[in-house]
Amino acid sequence: MNRACASPITLATLAEYWLGELDAEREAELDEHLLGCGECSAALAGLAELAGGVRALVRAGAVRTVVTDAFLERLAAAGRKVREYRVPPGGSVNCTVAPDDDLLVSRLEAPLAGLEQVDVVLLDIPGKPYERLRDVPFDAKAGAVVVTERVDTLRAAPAGRVRVQLYAVRGEAERLLGEYTFNHAPWPGRG
Amino acid sequence: MQDESGQAELDDAGLARRIAAAGARGHAAAEAELYRRLAPRVRLYGRKHLRDDHAAADLVQQVLLMTLEGLRAGRLREPDRLVSFVFGTCRMVVLELRRTHARRERLLGIYGGDAPVADPAVAPRLDHDRLQQCLEQLPERERSVLVMTFYEDAPARAVAGALGLSEGNVRVVRHRGLQRLRDCVYGREAGP
Repeated sequence: MNRACASPITLATLAEYWLGELDAEREAELDEHLLGCGECSAALAGLAELAGGVRALVRAGAVRTVVTDAFLERLAAAGRKVREYRVPPGGSVNCTVAPDDDLLVSRLEAPLAGLEQVDVVLLDIPGKPYERLRDVPFDAKAGAVVVTERVDTLRAAPAGRVRVQLYAVRGEAERLLGEYTFNHAPWPGRG
Repeated sequence: MQDESGQAELDDAGLARRIAAAGARGHAAAEAELYRRLAPRVRLYGRKHLRDDHAAADLVQQVLLMTLEGLRAGRLREPDRLVSFVFGTCRMVVLELRRTHARRERLLGIYGGDAPVADPAVAPRLDHDRLQQCLEQLPERERSVLVMTFYEDAPARAVAGALGLSEGNVRVVRHRGLQRLRDCVYGREAGP
């Protein structure tokens, strides 16, 4: 019988435990609690399952998100094939995705020092915005916002063009930092 | 003749007492129920401390065998202290598995094996399409932090520096994102 836990471990603490952030004494306490508690153990299993799912989606190139150089370096060191397009403000690039690419990355260069908030806006060719990534994390020292694209979607996409804009946002005001054009073509080997 | 029913009503210590009382002849129903409950918990302990599904599956086998043998042989004098016994056994076996696992990794490095893990007890239950939708719905900052955290189970300090956030800030964003993601994938009633 799995009795209800008298002192359930919070999700935040479970995450700290799973990620090795607790001191040895607290970790041992939780080790023992989890071995004896079906309810908390099931909650941890759910967390571990989500973590594994996120990992699987990233490995499949199925997530668009903003990452850092350090993260990309670790992916490359782990043997993942990363295709990267570096674009200066106002620049354009011809791009594609190869069958063996694990990750496709756009590096949107811009002066980021001192900015509070940066948004990424994606536009179709008439210039209509269709997606806005608000308040993206960025490393000002790197001088670029690094976005992983969805490899699964792009691999199946026909030739086309996407424009991306980067905005500095402060309160209600926004200032264009740069516009970037991606001319996508399917991998030449594709029938 | 053993009572084959009623195992599910007993708590873990109650099952341990029943197994201990049966002695060397064993109590198959109580042992099966205790195994069913403890195996996923010990596997999680193994995944946490060994970061390897093969090694975690080995841990389950060894720890539960030692636990059931200990109960049958009367070595576990206080069955109420079952969890302490399991915990102590887990710690001991993890140390041994770390040594053998390091040896196995060296051999895999030499001979290049990369066999997929096939463990029916950890078969995927997660709906990845649903997870992807839920991940896409998160605010960008939360999605970034969750991706960089869980891709390699990185602690807050590893994620914080490069994002220009403090460790505390990463924990706050991570917690918010995790809660939202869990509610979206499993429903709001899920867990603490």
